[in-house]
Amino acid sequence: MEKDNLAVSAELLCKKYQMGEAEVEVLKNVNLSVAAGEFVAICGPSGAGKTTLLNIISGIDRPTSGKIVVFGEDLADKDEDFLAEFRCNDVGFVFQAYNLVSTLTVAENVAFPMEWQRKPVKEIEARVAELLDIVGLQHRANHFPAQLSGGEQQRVAFARALANDPQLLLADEPTGNLDTANGQKIIQILRMLKAKGKTVIVATHDVQIIQFADQKLVLEDGQLASQNE
Amino acid sequence: MSETFFPVNDLLRRKFQTSLTIITLTLSVTATLFLLLYSERLGFGIAAVKEETLTYGLSMVFSQFLIFMDILILVVGAVITAFIVFLMMKQRTRDFGLIKAAGCPNSLVFGYFLNELLIVTFVGCVLGVVLGFAADFVVANVFRLQIYQKPPNLWLVPLVFGVFLVLALFLGAKPLVKAAKLSPITALSPVQYFGMDEASKFKPLSRSGIILRLSSRSLSRRQAASVRIVILLSAVFVLLTVSICGGIVAGDTTRSWVEGAIGKDVIAIAHDSMVTQYKLLLSKFSRTVENGDFNYLDEKFAVPESILQQLNTAPEIVHIDARLVLEEHVRELSGYKIEPETMSTLPVGDNRTGQSLVVGVDPEKVLSTSFMKGYALNLSDVQEAVIGDTLAQAMYSPTPRIDLSDPLLQKLIVREKIFTITGVCVDPINNGNVTYIPLKTLQNVTGISYVNIVLVKLASSVDRVAALAQLREKIQNINSDFAVFELNAVLQENVAFLGSFWSTILFLPLFTLASAALCLIGYMLLAIDEQRQEFAILRAVGAKPKTVTSILAVQSLVVLLSSCAVGVSLGVITTLMILMPQPVVTSFTILEVAGWLFGALGGMFLLSLYPAVKFARTPLLKIMA
Repeated sequence: MEKDNLAVSAELLCKKYQMGEAEVEVLKNVNLSVAAGEFVAICGPSGAGKTTLLNIISGIDRPTSGKIVVFGEDLADKDEDFLAEFRCNDVGFVFQAYNLVSTLTVAENVAFPMEWQRKPVKEIEARVAELLDIVGLQHRANHFPAQLSGGEQQRVAFARALANDPQLLLADEPTGNLDTANGQKIIQILRMLKAKGKTVIVATHDVQIIQFADQKLVLEDGQLASQNE
Repeated sequence: MSETFFPVNDLLRRKFQTSLTIITLTLSVTATLFLLLYSERLGFGIAAVKEETLTYGLSMVFSQFLIFMDILILVVGAVITAFIVFLMMKQRTRDFGLIKAAGCPNSLVFGYFLNELLIVTFVGCVLGVVLGFAADFVVANVFRLQIYQKPPNLWLVPLVFGVFLVLALFLGAKPLVKAAKLSPITALSPVQYFGMDEASKFKPLSRSGIILRLSSRSLSRRQAASVRIVILLSAVFVLLTVSICGGIVAGDTTRSWVEGAIGKDVIAIAHDSMVTQYKLLLSKFSRTVENGDFNYLDEKFAVPESILQQLNTAPEIVHIDARLVLEEHVRELSGYKIEPETMSTLPVGDNRTGQSLVVGVDPEKVLSTSFMKGYALNLSDVQEAVIGDTLAQAMYSPTPRIDLSDPLLQKLIVREKIFTITGVCVDPINNGNVTYIPLKTLQNVTGISYVNIVLVKLASSVDRVAALAQLREKIQNINSDFAVFELNAVLQENVAFLGSFWSTILFLPLFTLASAALCLIGYMLLAIDEQRQEFAILRAVGAKPKTVTSILAVQSLVVLLSSCAVGVSLGVITTLMILMPQPVVTSFTILEVAGWLFGALGGMFLLSLYPAVKFARTPLLKIMA
């Protein structure tokens, strides 16, 4: 894989947490390379370190040791303000628990990452409408998250993650909490993103998602057990 | 699950929330008890001196202030308590639903949470009472204020403990009863906490716009809590305004009364002993002094005609107020009042007697201008009198035996002559136990043709020191027993005494401010705790730490400004229209009050930012966890 074409690269990535007296090593010397436009599925049992790996790639968390470079930026030595801008502009994150802002409506939840960027109002309105159309929730634009089902909230989370048209989309168990019908809608969105050539890294157990991934990584006990192109 | 252990374990599991609630409740009880003990001792201080010093009218102004402050302190404490327990129990609605959904009977869940409420309020109240008492003890021993020479009123301890415990239990149980009535599914619904089901049409905003929107939404989502904190801080600002504005305005007003009654730059000319006695009479306002057996009727005190002529012809003197000062036995004469509805006649007052300083003044030449109820003497040969407020209280106030008494409806007898009382004045001379009568009338009644003291004022254009020296020389040349004294020193002594009272009262806003700031910090901590997840999301999606600080700052500012607007308006109205008759408000007073209030507002705002800044610096993952 050419270095210029790399979206994400991790070298000897380690992450340890202090849990009371005990030290828990969540990631152990993980090496990873994701090319731009690649669709990667990370699977593995619960507690294997999938969410931690996504958190480190997105700049939400920092590695204890090792190197994490995303679009040429070494995230380990960046300050909070840089990481905030990075998360706003370059990365879209779909959380397992949706994490919508309860005080904002669906449309506002989708709009606010663009509002951070001070985009023109008309552009934001058009983009919100476009994204809600993609996830099929235009009729829910003025509802609050508390009024939506889990599947609908997950679709809003996808729309928000795509708001600033990020180069990289990270999704943590996007279909894990959903029924089949809603799960299918999410898979359709993921397929669409792949078709558009977005770099996508998904932590998932969903066989359908794993099947159409370009790269499949298996995390077990904090280590990459296998890589399957 | 044991009914006894579950509440304890649950409280221990939620360490942060539990300790925050207990700390805020403790602070509320501590501040209330301390402030009540403080103002009660202040009341004691005034009560202790008012028999001998500080005229009745002025001690009434202080008492009125203290009573109002005490009421406000209790109200503020009660509102804080209501706010804390409401927040604590409202946050448990979801838990209530969860436990019910798991199959626990309603009464048992209710019992669990009631026990939690009981534990928290009991611990908070006990700690608050102990700390409040300790704070009082520390202040008494560290500052050694004059008022602290009196013992604390121990009855306030069980009173505050009881009132707050009952209040907290009652108000805390309210949201619990409400939660108990909800079905598990309703109790679990997020709408219970977010309280949002409608929104206006989507309209994108600027970055500052979204900060305002998030702030206002969070405040309105926590509507009940927001309204309560605004009410709480409004009460605090009323208390603050009444004590600051009241303290300053009342201080200025009462000082102007005393200055007006004694007169500024007034010079007394009389026999040496008479001047000493006159100064002593003026000093009775600020310190306990005995009159002694002073014989005002001694003819040696008569101001010689030659001195009066000298004064009348002196070009540097612009004002001469010749007076006859005596001490007389005076008697109240009862009056009648016609009941407008029944047209029946009601007796007013009785026939009480007493000793009073009687001062004969020429109404047209009198130097002083006292604060007055009724009107001042204006004719020189009528049988009218103006009495001092202390005399009015001693001889003309209703008692258990006398239902109706009003000096302005009654009369006064001096040497068997009846005088119509036209006004009641606040006057420091003889500490308000004084009767002013037209000079000519008093001379006619007593048969004394002379005056025994002359008050004069020099022209402002003259060299005061030189003019005084010249005047002294002239008087000494006429009669060496006569002296010239400036009364400014006595005036300053009285004004300083009054100032010391008001400055003691001004301690109250500092304590109030401190407790209000702590409550605001408590509110901010609770607000942060409640919005923790939201802030984590915002930061995870690209908001910078300073954005989180801005959102919290806006929330704090909205709460503070709304409370300030309500509280300051009510406080000013209360001070100027209810507590202080004819207030003296200068532009400097307004600036002084505004400065204090802005300082308080700014200080509270900055303090409230502390938890916000601290939270914004917390690593994102720690918040998300």
